[in-house]
Amino acid sequence: MASPTKELVKTSNLTKTYPDGTHALTGVDFSVTKGEIHGLLGENGAGKTTLSKILSGILKPTSGEIYIKGNLVRMKRPSDALGLGIGMVHQHFALVRPFSAFENIVLGTDLNPTGERAKEAKASIADLAKGVGLQVTLDSPVESLALGAQQRVEILKMLYRNVDILILDEPTSSLTIKETGELFKSLLKLKEEGKCVIFITHKLREVMDFCDSITVLRQGKVTGRISKSEASPITLATMMVGRTVEFELKRSPMTPGEEVFTIDNLTLLDREGKEVVKDLSLKVRRGEIFGIAGVEGNGQTELAEAIAGIRRIAKGSIRLKGTETGGKSSSVIRRHGAGLIPEDRRQMGLILEMNLDENVILGKQRDLQFRGSLTSIAWRKVRQFTSDLMKKFEITAKGPESPARSLSGGNQQKVVVSRELSSDPDFIVAAQPTRGLDVAATEYIRKLLLDSRGGGKAVLLISAELDEILQLSDQIGVMYEGRLIGVGAAETMSRERIGLLMGGIVA
Amino acid sequence: MKLPLIGGGRVLAPLEESAFAALMGFFFGGILLVVLGYNPILTYYYMFYGGLGSLSNVTDMLGNAAPLILTALTFAVGVRAGLFNIGAEGQVYVGAGGAIYASYYFLPAGIHLGFALVLAGAAGALMAVPTYLLKAYRGVNEVITTIMLNWTAYFGVLWVAIVLLADPARPEKTISVAPTSRFPDFLLGSVSTSALLFAIAVAAAFYVYLWLTPSGYELRSVGLNPEAARFSGINPRKPLLSALLLGGASAGLAGAVQVAGRTTPFALYTGLSNVLNYGYNGIGVALIGRNHPLGIIVAGLFFGTLQAGFSTVQLYARVPFEIIQVIEGIIIFTVAAPELYRRFRGSLKK
Repeated sequence: MASPTKELVKTSNLTKTYPDGTHALTGVDFSVTKGEIHGLLGENGAGKTTLSKILSGILKPTSGEIYIKGNLVRMKRPSDALGLGIGMVHQHFALVRPFSAFENIVLGTDLNPTGERAKEAKASIADLAKGVGLQVTLDSPVESLALGAQQRVEILKMLYRNVDILILDEPTSSLTIKETGELFKSLLKLKEEGKCVIFITHKLREVMDFCDSITVLRQGKVTGRISKSEASPITLATMMVGRTVEFELKRSPMTPGEEVFTIDNLTLLDREGKEVVKDLSLKVRRGEIFGIAGVEGNGQTELAEAIAGIRRIAKGSIRLKGTETGGKSSSVIRRHGAGLIPEDRRQMGLILEMNLDENVILGKQRDLQFRGSLTSIAWRKVRQFTSDLMKKFEITAKGPESPARSLSGGNQQKVVVSRELSSDPDFIVAAQPTRGLDVAATEYIRKLLLDSRGGGKAVLLISAELDEILQLSDQIGVMYEGRLIGVGAAETMSRERIGLLMGGIVA
Repeated sequence: MKLPLIGGGRVLAPLEESAFAALMGFFFGGILLVVLGYNPILTYYYMFYGGLGSLSNVTDMLGNAAPLILTALTFAVGVRAGLFNIGAEGQVYVGAGGAIYASYYFLPAGIHLGFALVLAGAAGALMAVPTYLLKAYRGVNEVITTIMLNWTAYFGVLWVAIVLLADPARPEKTISVAPTSRFPDFLLGSVSTSALLFAIAVAAAFYVYLWLTPSGYELRSVGLNPEAARFSGINPRKPLLSALLLGGASAGLAGAVQVAGRTTPFALYTGLSNVLNYGYNGIGVALIGRNHPLGIIVAGLFFGTLQAGFSTVQLYARVPFEIIQVIEGIIIFTVAAPELYRRFRGSLKK
């Protein structure tokens, strides 16, 4: 065996460009040594997942080299990575739910789970599990296990394949506090055995507590690599959120008016009954943009869904202009004066196969303004409406008959936003409104939101893009593990402070 | 605005594409015929002669097309709502039963036919209700419920035909449909022409519903993107109910057309032999017609022609029935292939 300081994994000048032109990684030099827990830290879209997918053979790099245990390797598929001793546990588990834990662990190996050698294998897995403290009832079907136990099955699956480099993608995001503690105990044991763990996260506290060294990624580049002794939450937060302002937008001073939108003590549950939004309260006033920052997956999606009326509310209330809208349908909420911009325009905002005429009336198909004779839709009136929107919002498309699919991302988003603004709402929720858009479209959409604020509307902006939050918001709060923390006026919130809050550290 | 016709803006215009696909089907079918030692030209000649060669052949063909158009609408409106509804088969049986049952009442001509059609449509729609309830409230896949309901309907109507509607003088069939509740002779001295016109009118109504009403728009939205539809405030259960009820009614009407709109026997045979397979063949017609009501009219006539040619090909070209079915299958498959590809390429990739 090589000396303990030898680099188990090393990448040199690793670059990944996706076919659509996104630069996910640019010149990444990354290395992990034997027997360490290495934190990989970054915001959404920083390239953490891309890097880990390359290391586990799921994606191929566009250029650059990967060295495993000192040897240059080229991996074509995940089995190549497994052969080299690299195993990854994904955030969303890859388990066959009705199969037992044991069957899942041996799945894909040449062991027959009902064959002669099964008993031995089971005993050795049980030993293995005991040795590192990953207790699992091997004969229970995976679907009957808690999420923490399912994760242990995933880790055992990798250990059974003798990996010595274990990659964990956001492993604590679905765990309870107790389960998280147990996981870290096991990881420390693995470390003692000489394995190395690459730990992908955005939670600063976990990185500070458990990692020996840390690499920070931002926008596909390595912005820092430091050992635990040098790291402090503030330095990590700065490396993570950086300072990049692409363009300036003018924000005129506004005096906010009366309260339009209120959430009181809102609690939401996921399918397993876990709280994904916890006791959340906020107020948005006229002429004000309330920005909710935070790393994705901390309850923002669920919050937006509840506001839009497509998610059941467990506790609490949502009021729009004094009327309770919690639990009402989207059409009722819109009629009360809300404009709803969903985070996934292609899945929720548009019907891609339909043309623009059909898309601009989605949700307005029963409006009197489009009514023809009897109860029919007067497509001629719709056509006029589409042309007006296209002109007013500078939507570039072949024509109103083009299918929404044929438009660029920016124009698709303009269709969604124009539709929602066309009913002159008093309150607008915009979830991740500029995700994946180019600079020009981003600027245009942000300007529209500022104009709405100027027009006396109340705007709730939910964005993982810190620049966007800082550019637009009058009030800022950060979502972390389902809670809204550190709410305050924008002037009082520094980039570093928000970065710390995003990592779960309330300064 | 220009009314949305079939497809649009693709490399080949839909009609050209279908014609080309049909030619390919005839070509490959021809190769098979040659390999098996039959004369393809003679076979195709009689295939079309059987459907178009004489006046009675044409009316026979039209009589074939009418129920096929109606059952194709059932499948098509399901696809438009995102369903794979294969319940037309059983709904045809109950529709036929309902139309015959109407003959127990004495009503003036015209009104009587209307009454029979209402009963048939209602019976077909009722047959779709369990599918709706199980899908909307228990999430049961419609393919499973409709297959099971097809068998329920088969044995149920079999029993009704033997016990309740039996013709005391003729054990092989039910009572005949009263002359007042038959489709009227229209063109060419045949009831089939008015039955076909009725089917075309129903197809036109489906077209208007799907493309010109808010409710039809909601149905199509849910079919294309249920998430976006829900986010826009559409309750997905409503389009589900509409698609299943309208589809059921249309298939029920196909049953009525089959017993009240064809020259013989104006009744159900007790083995239900004269109403079998119209529901399943309607799926093929819907695919050929690209699940579009207007395309389905053309596809129904095409399919009706092929089917009407069966007996003449056997008789004059001496090609066995089984081979003709294979040839027909090849042609239908090639014509339906572009639509199948478009519908299901997404699900294959996933």
